[in-house]
Amino acid sequence: MDYNLSEDQAILKDEFQKLLAKECTSDTIREMMASEKGYSELLWQKMAELGWMGLLIPEAYDGAYESFIDMLVLLYEMGYACLPGPFFSTAVVGTLTLLEAGNEAQKKTILPKVATGEHLLALAWTESTGTYTPKGIQMKAEQDGDDFILNGTKLFVPDAHVADTIFCVARTDESKEAPEKGVSLFAVDADSEGLSIHPHKTFTGEKLSEVAFDQVRLPGTALMGPLNQAWPILQKILMTAVVAKSADMSGGAQKVLEMAVSHAKVREQFDRPIGSFQAVQHHCANMVIEADVSRFMTYHAGWRIDEGLDFTKEAAMCKAWVSESYRRLVLLGHQVLGGISFTLEEDMHLYTYRAKGAELFFGDADFHREMVARSMNL
Amino acid sequence: MDFSISTEDLEIFQEVRLFIQKETTPELLKEAHGCEMIYGGPESRKFIKKFAANGWLTPTWPEEYGGMGASEMLTYMIREEMTYAGVPSFFAGAHFTGPTILRNASEEMKKKWLPPIARGEIEFAMGYSEPDAGSDMLSLKMKAEDKGDHWLVNGQKTFNTHAHVADYHWLAVRTDPDAPKHKGISLLIVDMKSPGISVQPMNTLIAKTNDVFYDNVKVPKENLVGEVNKGYQYLLGALNFERMFPFGHYRKCYESVVEFSRNTIVDGAPLSKSPTVRQKLADMAIDLEAARLLYYHLPYLLDSGKVPSYQTSMEKIFMSERVARKLTQSAMEIMGPYGQLDEHDKWAPSANLVNYYFRWGILETIYGGTSEIQRNIIAQRGLGLPRD
Repeated sequence: MDYNLSEDQAILKDEFQKLLAKECTSDTIREMMASEKGYSELLWQKMAELGWMGLLIPEAYDGAYESFIDMLVLLYEMGYACLPGPFFSTAVVGTLTLLEAGNEAQKKTILPKVATGEHLLALAWTESTGTYTPKGIQMKAEQDGDDFILNGTKLFVPDAHVADTIFCVARTDESKEAPEKGVSLFAVDADSEGLSIHPHKTFTGEKLSEVAFDQVRLPGTALMGPLNQAWPILQKILMTAVVAKSADMSGGAQKVLEMAVSHAKVREQFDRPIGSFQAVQHHCANMVIEADVSRFMTYHAGWRIDEGLDFTKEAAMCKAWVSESYRRLVLLGHQVLGGISFTLEEDMHLYTYRAKGAELFFGDADFHREMVARSMNL
Repeated sequence: MDFSISTEDLEIFQEVRLFIQKETTPELLKEAHGCEMIYGGPESRKFIKKFAANGWLTPTWPEEYGGMGASEMLTYMIREEMTYAGVPSFFAGAHFTGPTILRNASEEMKKKWLPPIARGEIEFAMGYSEPDAGSDMLSLKMKAEDKGDHWLVNGQKTFNTHAHVADYHWLAVRTDPDAPKHKGISLLIVDMKSPGISVQPMNTLIAKTNDVFYDNVKVPKENLVGEVNKGYQYLLGALNFERMFPFGHYRKCYESVVEFSRNTIVDGAPLSKSPTVRQKLADMAIDLEAARLLYYHLPYLLDSGKVPSYQTSMEKIFMSERVARKLTQSAMEIMGPYGQLDEHDKWAPSANLVNYYFRWGILETIYGGTSEIQRNIIAQRGLGLPRD
């Protein structure tokens, strides 16, 4: 057993850390979050030049894929630095979608441009029910000759406002009794006629949008994977992406822990550092447990993915755990920092918001506990 | 990152597992259950001697002392399997006293004590706690006076599990009452049959434990472990290495509740189809998984030459609070009124392990260092927060 990163991964981690520590500061995070796009194009380009966008993209499509864990290492650092922006939508979810569902032509056209940072992606999945269950897919894609015509509204779509291609989940067959049997996936140009994007107003800083389809006509070549059979592919994308999201959350958890501990060491009340009080010490001790378990769960699930082992149960366990754990930890962080923790000058709230957004992303703890129950054949 | 087990460890582990399956008799399980999985009764002793003959009781020890020079990983796997099987699995000799002797005692002492421990022939009772020295172990008062050719011991120990079945007492005593608290403690090995020792049972809600009284007990000089007045140092060292909190018994308990949920029809459907029950069962599985990752992190650290300290405390807190307490609590909730039934009640479901382990859960966050002490360790040793 080896709970540690390999030497190469440790070097990568160091590289990631260095750039993010320099470029993703308290000020720049706030600037990016306040901007309409939600990210810095300059930093985006630097990240692309370093090959970050291509960490999941195989060499054949100009990427630098070596292992899924490498990506987890990067996401951990992004979570630690609280980096906003469409990286996750593009280089993780979007890229996974293309790799799992895309045909050769789609992969060849889009992936090399993702690797260079010039093409952004989004996945439009949820609708008015806000759920990742097959019944939640009501949006219709009707066949018209070789074309498909899409009508309906997607909600809570991450980073749709900046995406060049939006992958869209739609119902192509309503006659099937099992709701997961009639679902398909399409690659939609963001500037397609009839498609409109309206950003949601969120308190978390997440850039989510409503994406409305009004008679959007797509050529048959926009279909990704086999008609009516997208559901199992979507499941795999979801379960893989939640492990990736957990890495981001674990990194954030580590940072919040460090913020709390360094505060507890210097902040004095009653003539001594508050970190000398057991009440505060025990909060910090609880935070280490949360942070370490999250990291172990994440890397364990990631290791299973790299090894080609079945990982559905481990991924569901991971997201269920990390979703609640990060939330608990961040609240303890607020408690240790006390009053200043809820001022906007402090960084703590950035993590609180990010934790909430991540908790809700691709299924919260309740959703994933149900996934665990299913994977146990309960 | 590599979460796989080495082929070498796995091969031995499979052997151990088969052995346990083959040698576990209903009589053994009943006896072990009746004495909380410590080893002392005739069935347990018979089982352990046969088990230990393979070196499996002390896998990491050098071969010359009866071990097999194996990895810590294997040791942790074996312990976990033993607790899962419900066979005797809580050893004082193999896991606490032996390793301390191995690291700190004279060669003569090692040769005398280690082989019989490794063979499963002798067992110890830990003698640390006193009425006024619980979490604050440094306040222990039991006195040992140097009488030239022997130590003369007087005082009281309390909560000494194993004392009613053990052959020897592993005794922390004050040998220098004038030195600072941590510099006046020594460790002695005492024959439980020595005149002047009386063991009085303390009945608790789950485990049998004992008060032990010493009235002018003579202990041979050579039974001092290591050097005089260095006992606390040895004891702290042991805390880093030997605190191991397996939880196989709670995995077993969990499996029994899953089975209960599948087989119990309520309002026309199995309990396992109820969304609330599914949430609980999944949550319990997640906690077990997290405990597993924390547990095996410890032998990983040891095998790679690092010394776990606060990591052990994390595992202990997690195992005792989220597994022992929360898991058994959820299990009781799922079982409803059946959860309270004693195993001898005719209506008791087959999952009656639950009430037993529920009561254990109350104990787990207290014994072996309370959760509060563990959190102090994490905060102070792990995070470098100042002691008040």
